[in-house]
Amino acid sequence: MPPSARRGKLAYKILFWFLLISLVPMAVVGWHLVGISQASLRKETLAMQESLAVGFSDTVYKYVTTFRNVLAETSGIEEFASMDARKQQQYLNRIMQVHLAVLELSVINVHGAEQMRTGRFLGPAPEMRSLENEEFFAETMRRGFFIGKLDRFQGLYPTALICVAIMDQKAQPPRPVGALLARVSLNGLSSMLGMEFPATGRSAAAVVDKRDGFLIAHSNPKEVFRPEARMSDEVLKIITTQTAPKGGGEMALSDGRRLLGAYSDVRDLDWLVYVQQPVEYAYQTAAEMKNQILRVLVWVVLFTILLSLAVAGHITHPIRLLREAAARLGRGQFEDLPEMMTTNDEIGDLAQTFLAMSESLKEKTGELIGAKQELEKFTKFLEKRVEARTRELKAAQDELIKKERLAAIGQMASVVGHEIRNPLAVINNSIYFIKTKLGGSPAAPDAKIEKHIKIIESEIRQANGIINEILTYSRTRELKPERVLLNNWLEELLSVYPFPPHISLEKRFDPVNPAVDIDTTEMQQAIRNLMNNGIEVMPGQGAVSIQTRVSGDRRSATILVGDSGPGIPPEVLDKIFAPFFTTKARGTGLGLAVVRKVMDRHGGSVDVESAPGRGTVFKLTLPVVSAGAPPLRNGAGPEAKSA
Amino acid sequence: MAKLLIIDDDAHLRESLAEVLELEGFETRQAGSAHSGIEAAKKEDPDVVIMDIQLPDSSGFQICQTLRKRSRNTILIMMTGRFLSSEEKKQGFELGADEYITKPFDLAELSIRIKQLLSRRSPQAEK
Repeated sequence: MPPSARRGKLAYKILFWFLLISLVPMAVVGWHLVGISQASLRKETLAMQESLAVGFSDTVYKYVTTFRNVLAETSGIEEFASMDARKQQQYLNRIMQVHLAVLELSVINVHGAEQMRTGRFLGPAPEMRSLENEEFFAETMRRGFFIGKLDRFQGLYPTALICVAIMDQKAQPPRPVGALLARVSLNGLSSMLGMEFPATGRSAAAVVDKRDGFLIAHSNPKEVFRPEARMSDEVLKIITTQTAPKGGGEMALSDGRRLLGAYSDVRDLDWLVYVQQPVEYAYQTAAEMKNQILRVLVWVVLFTILLSLAVAGHITHPIRLLREAAARLGRGQFEDLPEMMTTNDEIGDLAQTFLAMSESLKEKTGELIGAKQELEKFTKFLEKRVEARTRELKAAQDELIKKERLAAIGQMASVVGHEIRNPLAVINNSIYFIKTKLGGSPAAPDAKIEKHIKIIESEIRQANGIINEILTYSRTRELKPERVLLNNWLEELLSVYPFPPHISLEKRFDPVNPAVDIDTTEMQQAIRNLMNNGIEVMPGQGAVSIQTRVSGDRRSATILVGDSGPGIPPEVLDKIFAPFFTTKARGTGLGLAVVRKVMDRHGGSVDVESAPGRGTVFKLTLPVVSAGAPPLRNGAGPEAKSA
Repeated sequence: MAKLLIIDDDAHLRESLAEVLELEGFETRQAGSAHSGIEAAKKEDPDVVIMDIQLPDSSGFQICQTLRKRSRNTILIMMTGRFLSSEEKKQGFELGADEYITKPFDLAELSIRIKQLLSRRSPQAEK
């Protein structure tokens, strides 16, 4: 994976810590603030609800008291009790006209009997009731007024009875002489509540008789205009257990709802005003705040992430560059390292260190590469050397095999030769015996027998000669070199060589008379073999030439032995030095093999030049003893021997 | 008459050599092995012993050494069918050999040589 392709783990780590450091405190503080504001909101909401409840309870009180005052005004008119029925009726009618909420009006005498009764839905002649046993009548007589006795008109609309005593003003003290009774519709309260608490479903308010939960008014008319509209027992129970005239709190209902409720008793009545709001609405602001905070948090997170990415990227950029550079170094690329800004901080220091390291690495690698090249060069050189040596070895091995083959041939020849010597000796003995016997006899021996004895003796000699030749070739004799002057030595050799009369000798010696180290016995054998061969192929007139030549650098000398014979056919020219190769009728084929063996043993070489009809020249090349060479082991100086 | 002992495992060579030397006037004895040769030498006390260097049971050098210890006067001649190195020859001479001959040998020459060696023997060794 290329290092620049991703941001790197470090950047994400930094990012993570950035987020942790920046967001967690914010989230904690935000959450805490929400909690605080929620608590204060709750308090505030409750206080508001309570004040609303208190305010409305006052309104309810005033509403009801208004009707009581209206009735009291009428009943308080002097001589109302003594007025005639028609006049009373007029008063009642006026009340009915002004106050639409008043549904019925009755005038009751001191005995509790209804004397006059008028109502909006009663018809022309309503039934007159006897109300002396009614508790509200007794209380009115006792206290002067009564408010209560809640009921539902037509089973739906809540009504209350308001009764005010008619006093005899003349009596001292004044005493009640009857009562004025009104049945008042309480729908107005619901309307007022509805205006105060619109039916948004969020908050609701109700006026309730706290003794039995009778729902007097509700901000939602649907709640109240029902036959059995009551406050839920659960809430009622919670409220009625409160001793304070007003209060509020959070309620957990059995159906899982949570409400914020506040209540306030209505003065002088057993009623209370109740305001409720589901907790979720009460806390809606808080929830909104929470959402707001969450939104802000999200934005902040996003912003922080981007910012952190940028910052982390910025911080890790030089590190990534370093990493990239290190990766390049790892691949051995010392050039084109990424540009590294050297900032004045730890990363800058690191970059500096890295650059220094890469420089030294480059240097070291350069050295290594140099060493490697040297090594490769050396290896190639060695390989060449090994190849050359292998070739040499191969050649040496071939040579060795050849030599071994020759040695094996020689060994076999030696064994054969040796074994033949015994019977040869026996034949020789026997022929000697016969010859002696014959020579000792008085009769002259047969000439032919003598001739044949001579033939046998000659053949024995020849066979012995062949055996000697073979054994000489095959034996491993120690070389005994002497230092001689070549020309002098050859001269001496030639002077004793039995040249036949038909052969002439041509000598041409190099004026430089080189000193050579030779085993004179063997070298003499070699040159004799060559001359023997030459003379053998020249039965008629012929010439043998002996020359010496010294090379230009005076390091080698060549003896040339030539004849004017018929020459050697080219097809056999390369075989002539092989042992046992011969073209003669009688011959071992060892003459030239011996020549080559001798030359090999002297560290020299033998070569031949021949063309049919133009004679043959053998060239024996020998190393020349240099001027400052140490004397031989046997101490024989060249002058001493060559003289 | 000088007495010769010829030790060689080749019967033909032994016999032919013996008969030639008898013609030359020597008395000869023969042995086919080193062991029988040494026994014969002890018994016969020959003047000259001609022995092959290579024998099936021992080497001529061994016989040479044994016989030279027995008698300083016996002439010991080594016979060989092969080339001897100078080291071998030296060894033979040190062990008491008087002469080397290579097969096949010139019998006239050998006869003269034997006689010469016999005549040079110290007078007190004469029988």
